[in-house]
Amino acid sequence: VIAQLAAALVGVWITAAPGVLGYAGAARLLAVTLGPIAASLALIAAWETTRGLRWGNVAAGAVLILAPWLLPGAHWAAQISNVLAGALLLALSLLGGEVRGRHGGGWSALFREPERG
Amino acid sequence: MARPEAKTGAESESYHAAPGQAAIPDSAEIPPGWDYNPADWSQRLPIVGLALLGFGIAAYLALFQVGAIGDVWEPFFGNGSRTILTSEVSRLLPVSDAALGAAGYLADAVAGIMGGRARWRTMPWIVVLFGVAVGPLGAVSVLLVILQPVLYDAWCTLCLASAVVSVLMIGPAMDEVLASLQHVVGAARRGESAWRAFWGLAA
Repeated sequence: VIAQLAAALVGVWITAAPGVLGYAGAARLLAVTLGPIAASLALIAAWETTRGLRWGNVAAGAVLILAPWLLPGAHWAAQISNVLAGALLLALSLLGGEVRGRHGGGWSALFREPERG
Repeated sequence: MARPEAKTGAESESYHAAPGQAAIPDSAEIPPGWDYNPADWSQRLPIVGLALLGFGIAAYLALFQVGAIGDVWEPFFGNGSRTILTSEVSRLLPVSDAALGAAGYLADAVAGIMGGRARWRTMPWIVVLFGVAVGPLGAVSVLLVILQPVLYDAWCTLCLASAVVSVLMIGPAMDEVLASLQHVVGAARRGESAWRAFWGLAA
């Protein structure tokens, strides 16, 4: 839970970064698009049955880490923010957090025949 | 499959909570393979509360959009709320976007309150409808959040608050949807009618 809530805060930072650091252009568009998506996925993944959505943020984090190569002309502050926030998002999303409750086998139980004993 | 019965204090207490009525333990309403009941009121009422909060915010914004309120509360982003709420995107449909949002929140609240504590198996259709109402409302909210800076270079505080509320509802709503879908799929695997299970009819 804590990892996902922290990931949501990273998403908020990504969204706010262009305004705070003062950069524009393609890097800004990337940030204000990925930021809200990352924050939302993390907020939903904070709950145990929807924890799987964190894999979406693993992908978002990877995109942000690659951003300096995808957007070579962007402001240096944008590049540093993207790589740091992306790495943090990736790590927190991989971490996941523990699942305490039992949920009848989860979503995969809908598609997998239970073993008969 | 035998379910290990690990009764908590709260459960054994509510077993005796209603003297005179038929004593149905809470655990009888826990879906097989789960260790809590996702349709319990303690699970659902907070979501209904969020839906009503979202309804309040969206209704307020809609009143501004139709001109019933002259000004809109905006503590952080200057003229941002006004820019967003009078934008072309907000008027794409015959009804303003905040009014649609208010209707969506109201639908969430109604779908969240309907049915009893066992509705994951007695009324799977309302649980699925609830999930269908909550999910897209959140998705549209996030899309609108992205459009604020992309199209108008502005932020609207209460619109953001409404989006947070709608996204917060998704996670806690989905466990109940999962339990209902497991119930319907389970009926089908036992050779019973999934259709009848979905509508909560006897097998």
